[in-house]
Amino acid sequence: MAMLTRVERIEAAVPVTVMALDGELDASNYLRLVDDVRQLYADGTRNLLLDLSDLSFIASSGLVALFSVVKVMNGEEPPDPEYGWGAFREVGRGVEQGAVQRAVQLCGAPPSVAEVLQRTGLDRLFVSHPDRESAVASF
Amino acid sequence: MVAVRRELRIDADVARLADVRAAVREVARVCEAPSTCMDDLVQAVDEAVTNVIVHGYRGQPGTIDLTAELIGDDIVITIEDRAPTFDPTTVPPPDLSIPPQHRRPGGMGIHLMRLAVDSVQHRPRPGGGNILILTRSRVPRAKEA
Repeated sequence: MAMLTRVERIEAAVPVTVMALDGELDASNYLRLVDDVRQLYADGTRNLLLDLSDLSFIASSGLVALFSVVKVMNGEEPPDPEYGWGAFREVGRGVEQGAVQRAVQLCGAPPSVAEVLQRTGLDRLFVSHPDRESAVASF
Repeated sequence: MVAVRRELRIDADVARLADVRAAVREVARVCEAPSTCMDDLVQAVDEAVTNVIVHGYRGQPGTIDLTAELIGDDIVITIEDRAPTFDPTTVPPPDLSIPPQHRRPGGMGIHLMRLAVDSVQHRPRPGGGNILILTRSRVPRAKEA
């Protein structure tokens, strides 16, 4: 099953770009997500909400993608994909620093996806919301 | 007694991961496993197969054979490859007290795999390669009951 993304721009207190992930985020498609967000950032997006409501699966490579998205949205270079799974050292560093950033927020994570975020500690990098409406209002 | 048995052979290509996950879900359904058990099995097998494709075969052609069986209440998934020998059970678990720059790359996928199943066993495959056996009971864990 491929992963589809839908992008919508919402004018709230600040402009928010909502990207809905639909499908499964794994080693076959995680780099595309990072590329898509890099393009959004280049086009001016500074507040990104990832709507995970229809994300049915996330692999460890998907976690690398989420971490990379945070880096991109904070104007930093993501871990080099060629550096590969070593990117998790970067993920670990980010988690330990415990700095909750707000440029990328999450909403609607299904229990199975939330469990993976929690098991790896990556949940501590994000503000998470139950639904899109409350998330948009919080930016 | 083996009540359920399924087999799948794939090429070592991340594009086949979705097929692997679909097969694991089908096995879990046939085994009447609860959704948490199904999710865990899908996670563990995906991480294990991804490791074989990315770290084992490293872009070289190869095949991976998966076998799923229900033995008693245990769903047992065997993953067989012909990549260089690698025993994920020897990888230490990530320790948040260790500075991340000293952690072993790739440990997060293995960490997720371990948490998702009840046991992980590895042995070298005769003639070269690896045999990895993941076991997860379909009986709900305490916190799932």
